[in-house]
Amino acid sequence: MPTPFYAPDFAAPVSSPWNSDQDETLRCVHIRQETHDVKTFVLAANGPRNFRYLPGQFLTLELEIGGEKINRCYTLSSTPTRPDLVSITVKRVPGGTVSNWLHDNVRVGMELGAMGPSGEFSCFKSPAKSYLFLSGGSGVTPLMSMARALHDLGSDADIVFVHCARTPADVLFAEELTLMARNMPHFRIALVCEQHTPGSNYAGHLGRLDAARLAHIAPDFMQRDVYTCGPAPFMAAVRGLLAGAGFDMPRYREESFSFETLVADAAHAPVNPEVAVENTEITYKIDLQKMGKSFTCPSDQTVLQASVAAGFRLPSSCSGGACGTCKTKKISGTVEMKHAGGIRQREIDQGWFLPCCSKPTSDIVMDR
Amino acid sequence: MTTTNATLSAQTLLTRELLARRRPGYSLEAPFYLSETILQTDMEHIFGKHWIFVAVEPQVPEAGDYITVDFGTNSILIVRDDDMNIQAFHNVCRHRGSRLCASQQGVVGNIVCPYHQWTYDLTGKLIHAKHMGDDFDPSGLGLKPVHIRNMAGLLFICLAENPPEDFEQMAAEMTPYIAPHQLSQCKVAAQIDIVEDCNWKLTMENNRECYHCMSNHPELTISLYEYGFGYQPNEDNKADLQRFQDIMAANHERWEGMGLPSAEIDTLDDRITGFRTQRLPIDRSGQSQTMNAEVASKKLLADFVDPALGGLSFWTQPNSWHHFMSDHIVSFTVLPISATKTLVRTTWCVHKDAVEGVDYTKENLTAVWNATNDQDRRLVEESQIGISTGAYQPGPYSPFTEGLVEKFCNWYVNRLSVLTR
Repeated sequence: MPTPFYAPDFAAPVSSPWNSDQDETLRCVHIRQETHDVKTFVLAANGPRNFRYLPGQFLTLELEIGGEKINRCYTLSSTPTRPDLVSITVKRVPGGTVSNWLHDNVRVGMELGAMGPSGEFSCFKSPAKSYLFLSGGSGVTPLMSMARALHDLGSDADIVFVHCARTPADVLFAEELTLMARNMPHFRIALVCEQHTPGSNYAGHLGRLDAARLAHIAPDFMQRDVYTCGPAPFMAAVRGLLAGAGFDMPRYREESFSFETLVADAAHAPVNPEVAVENTEITYKIDLQKMGKSFTCPSDQTVLQASVAAGFRLPSSCSGGACGTCKTKKISGTVEMKHAGGIRQREIDQGWFLPCCSKPTSDIVMDR
Repeated sequence: MTTTNATLSAQTLLTRELLARRRPGYSLEAPFYLSETILQTDMEHIFGKHWIFVAVEPQVPEAGDYITVDFGTNSILIVRDDDMNIQAFHNVCRHRGSRLCASQQGVVGNIVCPYHQWTYDLTGKLIHAKHMGDDFDPSGLGLKPVHIRNMAGLLFICLAENPPEDFEQMAAEMTPYIAPHQLSQCKVAAQIDIVEDCNWKLTMENNRECYHCMSNHPELTISLYEYGFGYQPNEDNKADLQRFQDIMAANHERWEGMGLPSAEIDTLDDRITGFRTQRLPIDRSGQSQTMNAEVASKKLLADFVDPALGGLSFWTQPNSWHHFMSDHIVSFTVLPISATKTLVRTTWCVHKDAVEGVDYTKENLTAVWNATNDQDRRLVEESQIGISTGAYQPGPYSPFTEGLVEKFCNWYVNRLSVLTR
């Protein structure tokens, strides 16, 4: 296999930051098999790029699977302190279209459409003295990114890093976590596995994370800023646990990392019915009348974003309501539009809108 | 570079020689009407360095409204910005030079190049250019501005870096004449472009005399006294001429009393921004340039109650004339296309609240000047053909009826002589 390894010129000035508007693809340069069903895909830009992002943020991959365009968000497991590459760590999910496709099809040298990074889940947004990182399964990725960054930056942050997995064979990044704990004076790790794997030398906690176990692992958890990522039932359990203990919830932050994993894991995990209705997004149906096609748009996405996610390429350029390239007649429906001069009030009055800066507030029929 | 200099110098030498040979009181020599080289000189020095009348304010009534004005090889974009100021730019993208707006008029949010969507705000600032990298500095890549002045609703542009400063003097003198008609409160009721197969100077010269009026313009002379532009007195017309002078004197007194300046100002050939104005009586009912000399629009302009306000005529060098009446305003701009093709754009404005079909009909409003323009087109095209035969040599102007033609040519020759020196 020809190696696509790209050695940056370390004597050259810092390369320009990666910009997903310009660098629309990333190239896989390395694949690591982390466990039997988890792979890390290491990605490079085409040409020297400086990846700048907040540890904990995610990328959106734009993939074409079975002739269909699919967008999927993946938290970066990499750290911006090693800026030449990014990585995502993906668990194979039974029935998961995208995760299985990534595992089965991505080869070194392949290009993947990518957008981002974006996301709000990062301890670098509101630094604290001490943290409790609670991860379930491959939800470890954003917390790993934060830990790697703090480690690389020589931080002496007080971190209790809890990683929960089904079995010791499913534990991710065990050796690296151990190394970071050795290098950082206030970094402690705790592993919690539901079951033992016969033959392993695992000596961590067995069972599930509950109040007693958390109090045992981190007796001062009430004083820590908590960051949680994992399957929805796991995060729901953590929320319940902390709220029950009287934790100051504004200092609790969580991230659902993969829709696919979330759904798949939820299917065979005990679901707390009180939690199931949370985070229900309103989505609207967008009809493209001339094309005779439709797609759904969550109320917190612009019509253009949703159309791109659904595989439609509507004309657009600035994505910010300035150029008006996406200007479209709205046959019916309502939107909340925040334009930047790309449309006139008269045009709005006549029914025109800019999909790039409009979030739906009802179903919409567009003249496209 | 050598070639360019040689070419320029040949062009300048030719122009200088022709200018030096010009005989006052006589029409210009044939090359002024035929030569593409002279047209280049005209475009560079006359249309490139003077204030050019291009449009009326009601063509861009609202923020985001734009028009494009093409002449010679120029394309100019005029747009009203969000602060309601009128801006003018070269209609050319700073990326790879694409023309920005292809239509003659339209509405924009921002100005977006159709080619790669470089986006400029209405002050000309480049605000969006995708795929140009993080080191890209848009600050030096705004649209190239063009000087523009709004004189009581008449829009003049100047392509020169340093436009003639005496525009302000003209504005100070002319605004009291024009402002009462409130052009900015009008709407464009009709705009018609015709292309004349002649040099632009023939169009202008033809406009500056009424020697040809009685024989050629039956519609126009219903309302227009031919005496308003000079006439040779003789025994037959003595009474008519005197009657015209009396009407003029009486009306001027009446109009001045109403706050409508009426007296003649003529700076056609003694200023860089030369112009002439005079409020002229209208025949019959004294109201308007229509087929019965009565108003074309029942909704009068401004706060006028008297429809018989005559016609305020305003001529500018090098390329426009206008008639302001109680009910409508008609403006003409002359824009060269080539040495032998000229655009004449006629714009009729009525009160913005006038309702078509109720207060006026477009047909009645435009009848006189549509007929007159067509007659004038035929006259100037015949001149162009005759001059092109080679048999033409400059002929003498009438000292009575062609004084304003002489002033046009005198201005033209003087301006070019100074600028090509």
